[in-house]
Amino acid sequence: MREETRREAVWQFLTYGFILLGAVVTLVPLYWIFVASTLEESEFLSSTDPTLIPGDSFFSNFQALQARDNVQFVGHVGEMTHYIDFGPFYVAYDFWNLWNMGAIESSIFVAGVYTILSLLLCSMAGFAFAKYEFRFKQPIFYAILATLILPIQLLVIPLFLLMSQIGLTNSYWAIILPWLANPLGIFLMRQNMRSIPDALLESARMDGATEFQLYYKIALPTMKSSLAALSIILFLFQWNLFLFPLVILDQGKYTIPVAINQLVGAQRVYYDQIMVAATLSIIPIFVLFLFLQKQFVSGILAGSVKE
Amino acid sequence: MLEVSLDMTNNDGRSVGRRTVLKGAGIAGLAGLAGCVGTGDPEPTETTQSSGGSTDSSGSTATPQSRLAGSAEVWGWDVAARAMDLLDEPYEEANGGDVSINQIGRADLKDKFKSTLLSGSGAPAASMMESVDAASWVNTGGLRDISGWLEEAGIKGDFVEGKWGPLEKDGGTYALPWDIGPVGTFYRRDVLNEYDIDVDSVETWDQYIEEGKKLPDGQYLLNLPSNDYDGLWRMMLRQIGGQPFTANGDVNVASDKSLQVARILKRIRDSGIANDLASWSSGWFTAFGDGTTASLTAGAWMEGTLKAELGDTSGQWGVFKPPAVESGGSRATNWGGSNLTIPAQVSDEKARRAWDYMAYALGREESQLTMYREYGLFPALETTYDAEAYDDPHEFLDGQPAGRMFAEIAPEIEPYRYTIDTPEVTQAINTHFRDMMAGDKTPKEAVDAAAQQVADRTDRDLA
Amino acid sequence: MATRDSLSGPDPSVRDRLRFARQSVGERMPTPGEGIVGYVFLLPAFLLFGVFLAFPIVYTFYLSFFRFEGVGDETLLWIDTGFFSYRLTSIADLSFVGLDNYVRMFTDTLFHQAMFNTTFILVVQVPLMVALALLFAVALDASFVKLRGVFRTVLALPVSANLVAYSTVFLLMMQDAGLINYVLTSLGLPAIPWLTSSFWSRMTIVGAVTWRWTGYNMIILLAGLQNIPQQLYEAAEIDGANRIEKFRYVTVPQLRPVLLFVFVTSTIGTFKLFSEPVIINGGGAPLDSTITIVQYIYQTAFIDFRLGYASALTYVLIAIVSVLSAVQLNVGGESDA
Repeated sequence: MREETRREAVWQFLTYGFILLGAVVTLVPLYWIFVASTLEESEFLSSTDPTLIPGDSFFSNFQALQARDNVQFVGHVGEMTHYIDFGPFYVAYDFWNLWNMGAIESSIFVAGVYTILSLLLCSMAGFAFAKYEFRFKQPIFYAILATLILPIQLLVIPLFLLMSQIGLTNSYWAIILPWLANPLGIFLMRQNMRSIPDALLESARMDGATEFQLYYKIALPTMKSSLAALSIILFLFQWNLFLFPLVILDQGKYTIPVAINQLVGAQRVYYDQIMVAATLSIIPIFVLFLFLQKQFVSGILAGSVKE
Repeated sequence: MLEVSLDMTNNDGRSVGRRTVLKGAGIAGLAGLAGCVGTGDPEPTETTQSSGGSTDSSGSTATPQSRLAGSAEVWGWDVAARAMDLLDEPYEEANGGDVSINQIGRADLKDKFKSTLLSGSGAPAASMMESVDAASWVNTGGLRDISGWLEEAGIKGDFVEGKWGPLEKDGGTYALPWDIGPVGTFYRRDVLNEYDIDVDSVETWDQYIEEGKKLPDGQYLLNLPSNDYDGLWRMMLRQIGGQPFTANGDVNVASDKSLQVARILKRIRDSGIANDLASWSSGWFTAFGDGTTASLTAGAWMEGTLKAELGDTSGQWGVFKPPAVESGGSRATNWGGSNLTIPAQVSDEKARRAWDYMAYALGREESQLTMYREYGLFPALETTYDAEAYDDPHEFLDGQPAGRMFAEIAPEIEPYRYTIDTPEVTQAINTHFRDMMAGDKTPKEAVDAAAQQVADRTDRDLA
Repeated sequence: MATRDSLSGPDPSVRDRLRFARQSVGERMPTPGEGIVGYVFLLPAFLLFGVFLAFPIVYTFYLSFFRFEGVGDETLLWIDTGFFSYRLTSIADLSFVGLDNYVRMFTDTLFHQAMFNTTFILVVQVPLMVALALLFAVALDASFVKLRGVFRTVLALPVSANLVAYSTVFLLMMQDAGLINYVLTSLGLPAIPWLTSSFWSRMTIVGAVTWRWTGYNMIILLAGLQNIPQQLYEAAEIDGANRIEKFRYVTVPQLRPVLLFVFVTSTIGTFKLFSEPVIINGGGAPLDSTITIVQYIYQTAFIDFRLGYASALTYVLIAIVSVLSAVQLNVGGESDA
């Protein structure tokens, strides 16, 4: 027995050590980004005396970032420079346009809308592929999967052309709609939904449930942790998009990656401001993770009941 | 009643050899989208009439009575965008209209602008275009021929001759020159004084290399970055009147002049006077800041960059004409420079407005000198070169009136043949010069291999 | 246990009974209108796919048989309804070259170099990252670990780091006299030319990509771990299995579909690698030693304006990755599911 507890202790020690090492390696670059955001540029770039101790220039760097004439990073109340085009959603239109959005709000908004719509779409498609038989099912599935391989860099020109033909240039819809049917999402949902027992669906059918009720009353609730994981994937995908938003959006509507890239000048790179922007742009993701913890924890708690 | 017509006629009469020209790529895809409206009576003549503003670029510039659009958007980056901002208000006061300057990062502007060119929509009324990109952008056919307006304004002769080459194609002119980058060798006065190097006595690169050998270990005379051999190569080649391509488009990278330059670069590397730090990296700047790299041969605009990056070294710098490749040779060459161009897809009214602004901002001595004084953009407008502004002492350069020196260099700069395949040359030179520096290839082998690579990849002949 | 059951599938005995029942009835019980229901659920995805991706995909394929000669500007198609008029101009002047674009790849050494670099990075990076992600996921799933929410978040954060910012920091760390070499030399190891040697600059990309995406894949694996029925572990414990055996005989087989997913998407992700090498190249790496296939396609299209060749390259890339993914799916046992 004692032998076993000792082995258990060693095992726990090793596990913790591994996790801690991973956390440290992960954090060092992130911490450095943060430190750089609190330093003056010359302090940060000094090759003779690099520092890992935060300074006190964060706020002045932030002010310099906000004062730039070609980028609005964090929004403000005041004279409107641009309006969000909500298309048919006029109520949201009036509400949102009280606040003059900067890049960070634009990114949160676009990624948020994208995630919600795409979750809906992908789970529906995944449900169809997992639980129904229909003609050309396999070819359609693999065709959708194959689009995963397309490098967006090369789709830019035809997509831009398409968007200008249907009048969506400089609209957030232009960077939301093309990838709503996310092949990754459809694949993941299909994989996971196959574990839903057919018997469950059959018995619900017997009880008179419509096919759509099967989807949102049975399939969706059982997929909570998968949906949580997928929402992270979708959110980050949109959050990191660069080339197409750059091409299709005008200055006032830039998302975070595009806005940060404006700080890279032809000769001069504004490192201090980039680091402030990068530090701030990690916060929403941090919050998103914390928010989705619940979905993960509910699963993990159940697992730890075993003792 | 719906009418849909398909017009696939080739109306520009361009000869394309034996290959079939298929105009109208993407019919299949887009007709599919519009497919719900069905097809109707195809009648080509009516098509052009029903189509709002004509986009036929060749004839439109000659129409003097075209109206000017009320507003126009112009794209530019960094300092150049700010320089245009400077002229925005005076222009609007003098000529009316509303010109808005959109400041976009350099690499981003290029991606964005090229996307609008290639997809035929969404372009601004005018945009900044570097000379080095000009040939390939002009070649897309997406830019507007402004030769009619240029002639009308009678300002073509006012600009330095060497600037026009890449802006022209088949008798058309596609951009108005803005600034140039006459090259000087910037040096740290304090460092060179300490080691008793007198730049006034330096005439050729060989002499400069000899002087550099006075420096101790760890102290470099200049930087020769292994990611950017082509920059120096191009600068020196242009200095001695060399060309990467012949007039009929053959690859000339292995010419005697190119070889001569390759040998000098190799001597610089072998002599140990050159640092090897990636251009524009932080280490690169730092080395100029602490003087471990003591000189930098670059366009006149470099002074502004150094001033911004290394403000506390102000007064410790000087500049002299770049060393000649051989004794008695030219000491004038160029690095960098931009233009303003109008996309073909822009409506006539907007294009007129854009041209009006361009002529005001770039074609007038007063505007060009304002931008020179405020932002150090060295005018391509030759008529300004006798202005007093060039005699102003530069505080950063210890009071040296560097403008005068550059104004002397500017008219002597040889023209240079940029082509759509300039990026291939860049790549080939960098690749094979790296082998040369490592001693794996002789200079002769390196330029031959580079020439062969360019020829292979571009279907061109060797000169 | 109740919570667990609602989140995961049924226990295997139920599943087996179901499978047995299904097989004995025939393939499946027929449901009214079933053939159409599937399409109805697919419809939204289909519509968006058809509108936004079908055209670029078809157009790219079409372009791959042409040479781009310039921007087109004459009218191709016009619609005049009286209420609105619409005019479509040609996109490009193209000359038909047949299979030239495809043939040219055989002699294009830069393309070969890009394929080599990409494959090199792929072979090193994907297994490394998936292994790390799996280990972290399993470690964080262990019941005794405290603060797992914090660790999970920390490990997954890099993927949200802005590319310019993180690359800058990486470039600084990897410099000859940077942090990494400082650590190495103080451990008595030799310094490594992370950014200037061909081999090590590729490894720097491997490191950067692994740093960025391990946590992300860990999240996916963790979601998969939570779908493994707890009963299986309990049964294994009763059989006297130790940790390693439980990992080997329960976790890995149960996780197979998710692992496969991670493998396939990471492979595709690596093939699409673009931004990291662009920036690492800027650090002074030998020009061609880190160029990736997408980077090369991008250059061909956006810098050289050889849209036709770039399109052909894209299709070859798609073909290669499709085959590779199909192989992975087959080896991973997707086909029997």
